Amino acid sequence: MTDSRKTIVVTGIGVVSPYGIGVDSLQTGMLSGKCCLAPTKDLYPDFVGSTAQISGLPPLQNDGPQFSRSDRLAMVAARDAVGDLDFESSGLRGSGVFMASTVAGLSEIDPEIAEDPAAWYKRGGLARATSYPPARVADGVGEYLGLRGPRCAISAACASSAMAIALAANMLLDGAAPMMLAGGSDALCPFTLSGFNSLQALDPNPCRPFDQNRKGLNLGEGAAVLVLETLERAGARNANVLAVLRGWAMTNDAFHSTAPQTQGKGLADCMRLAMEMAEVSGDDIRYVNAHGTGTPLNDIAETNAYNAAFRERKRPVPVSSTKSYFGHCLGAAGALEAIIAIIAVRCGALLPTLRLTDPIESPSVDWLKGKVLRQEVPLAMSVSAGFGGSNAALIFEHGQFASRRR
Amino acid sequence: MTPILAAITGVGSVSPYGPLAGLIPPRTLEPEAITAWPTCGLRRAFLVKPFRPASVVPGLKTRRLDRLSALAMVASSLAIQDAGIDLSQENRSRVAVVFGTGLGCAELTEAFFNSAAAHGWSGTDPSPFPEGLANAPASHVALWHEARGPNVTVGCKGFAGESALIQAASLLRHGQADLAIVLAGDTLTRAVYEWYEAAGQLSPACYNSEPVTDGSGFVPSEGVAALVLEPAGRREVRAYAHFGSGRWSADGEAVETIRQMLGGSVPSVTICAGNGAPCATNRTTALAAEISGTSATIVQAEAAAAGLTDTSALLHLILALSSQPPSGQALLLGTSGENGFAALLLELP
Repeated sequence: MTDSRKTIVVTGIGVVSPYGIGVDSLQTGMLSGKCCLAPTKDLYPDFVGSTAQISGLPPLQNDGPQFSRSDRLAMVAARDAVGDLDFESSGLRGSGVFMASTVAGLSEIDPEIAEDPAAWYKRGGLARATSYPPARVADGVGEYLGLRGPRCAISAACASSAMAIALAANMLLDGAAPMMLAGGSDALCPFTLSGFNSLQALDPNPCRPFDQNRKGLNLGEGAAVLVLETLERAGARNANVLAVLRGWAMTNDAFHSTAPQTQGKGLADCMRLAMEMAEVSGDDIRYVNAHGTGTPLNDIAETNAYNAAFRERKRPVPVSSTKSYFGHCLGAAGALEAIIAIIAVRCGALLPTLRLTDPIESPSVDWLKGKVLRQEVPLAMSVSAGFGGSNAALIFEHGQFASRRR
Repeated sequence: MTPILAAITGVGSVSPYGPLAGLIPPRTLEPEAITAWPTCGLRRAFLVKPFRPASVVPGLKTRRLDRLSALAMVASSLAIQDAGIDLSQENRSRVAVVFGTGLGCAELTEAFFNSAAAHGWSGTDPSPFPEGLANAPASHVALWHEARGPNVTVGCKGFAGESALIQAASLLRHGQADLAIVLAGDTLTRAVYEWYEAAGQLSPACYNSEPVTDGSGFVPSEGVAALVLEPAGRREVRAYAHFGSGRWSADGEAVETIRQMLGGSVPSVTICAGNGAPCATNRTTALAAEISGTSATIVQAEAAAAGLTDTSALLHLILALSSQPPSGQALLLGTSGENGFAALLLELP
């Protein structure tokens, strides 16, 4: 029996993805095997390759130039996550917000700012620059929903929103707020397309994570928000517990500013720490949603990390990268993939990596490819990594098991 | 009684007061004229004087890094030196880095935009892109010190410094790290300075040689302050302060929440962490007076620290510790907007 005051549960999920708004559209789209990647040049003629874009965002109240596209995506996802929850009786009003974004308001800034900032501000840039600070995404969500608790943003490159969930869980254990909305949001924009293009990290075709012939990543956009609270609080208000966040951990490679440590040591340590917190062994993890960007360096380091972390397993661990469906959503990726891990434990559906035909050889990994695998998944792990050596791992269990932890 | 949680055993800073390990000898600073970019007449700010990082921290290489990364690496090294810690004797996988910033690596972000303006989006220079990410400074601090624990960069309107300290203490409390290097800071660039100017937030002291006055705008500042935080009693060393608990809220009942935190007592000293916005200083002072009454010491915000806006708290804390405050319970207090507040409880020796 575990202390319900120290058990963190997920009681709401909100998603905006290239499949549409809501977790149902994400789940249905992915289970059907639909790939959302489309030619980038349709929207951004300067770039080749594929991206996954979101169309048809609903209008927001009080919308204006002070909100970036990342802010808007985050607000829509947050609204979706809280659904029809009563703000006062549920404690939502006093909730905190922990949001991640890599792009934040950079999408709203023109290159001309660097040549003559004052002139650019005068031409209308001042209001748009308001959305530049990374903290703005968290503030946007808090203001939009009228939440009064602490608001914080995290930047840890592509591990950002997984870390937002981990740190929000810490804050709940500290009693910082009755509930926390945690997740991430990132919009497609020339800034990031240009950045990854300059690093020659983009695959000109739809990406092939963990394939021997992988050539790089594709960018996507999206937002995902989880409503987190303690099991005690969720029980007191008779909330529907969607999943239990059994374990979380964060580490850093301290190896290189962009490249992962070749043997994946930091990431392996991170997975071990999360399993230690969850009090489970490698054998208990039935699915891993990988970071799996499709870049040559990431995927080999990540594979090495799985070999190290799951070396003691009796059977290889099932792993897939769902970035093959809608690209790499950067600051939103960790939270989106956490939700896909929750879908796995709730539906017993293991999504394959698309276009994976010739996987990296690995004794400890069962690469999921081909079709959706249906089996019971008591525990699933979501793994994230990012520039600067950031690593994060989250372990989820089906909410139906929460009752035995009360 | 404040629950003793974590000890601040080392402080370091690279600020307009210079690069310093330990406390900052009290002195009044005047803003300096900006020469790093073309200005329309006199423009002043509190600036970090150019220095060679390797002359302060031997062996440090900062070429091609954003200036914020370089300042963070120096400040963290000075704090560790001040704490008397030999990191080679520590389990590096248990050393966390938590960095608070309002604007991130503005210099290289601008360089990337400049490259896009010159060569188009498809011809940008690759080097400023990853180094311009907001988490680059924390990553370089980790790389330099081989700190393989959690590496977190937070942004928080008005309270990035306070938030960094709270998150670091939380990592220690939950056993996710044994030692944390906590940093907060920002740097000034042309686009940042002219942003404040276009928004009408600058003090008249930015435009002439008048002294800085309160309440009529602010003088932008730059720098990074660093603390070493470790569980109380982990080592037999002096601590500058013990961090007890902290609360912050975007829109909360400040007085009620802080009084609840204090448990009926009155802090012996309240440190005002004014954060730059024109009216913030006054609201912080008024809130401090309401909480503390007339008998307690209130340490007013310093203009050179307040100019750091979101990341002022750690430099304010170091400056307050340098002023030999009375021992006992201390409240580090910041405000933002109409109702936002951050309150951190510390115990001073």
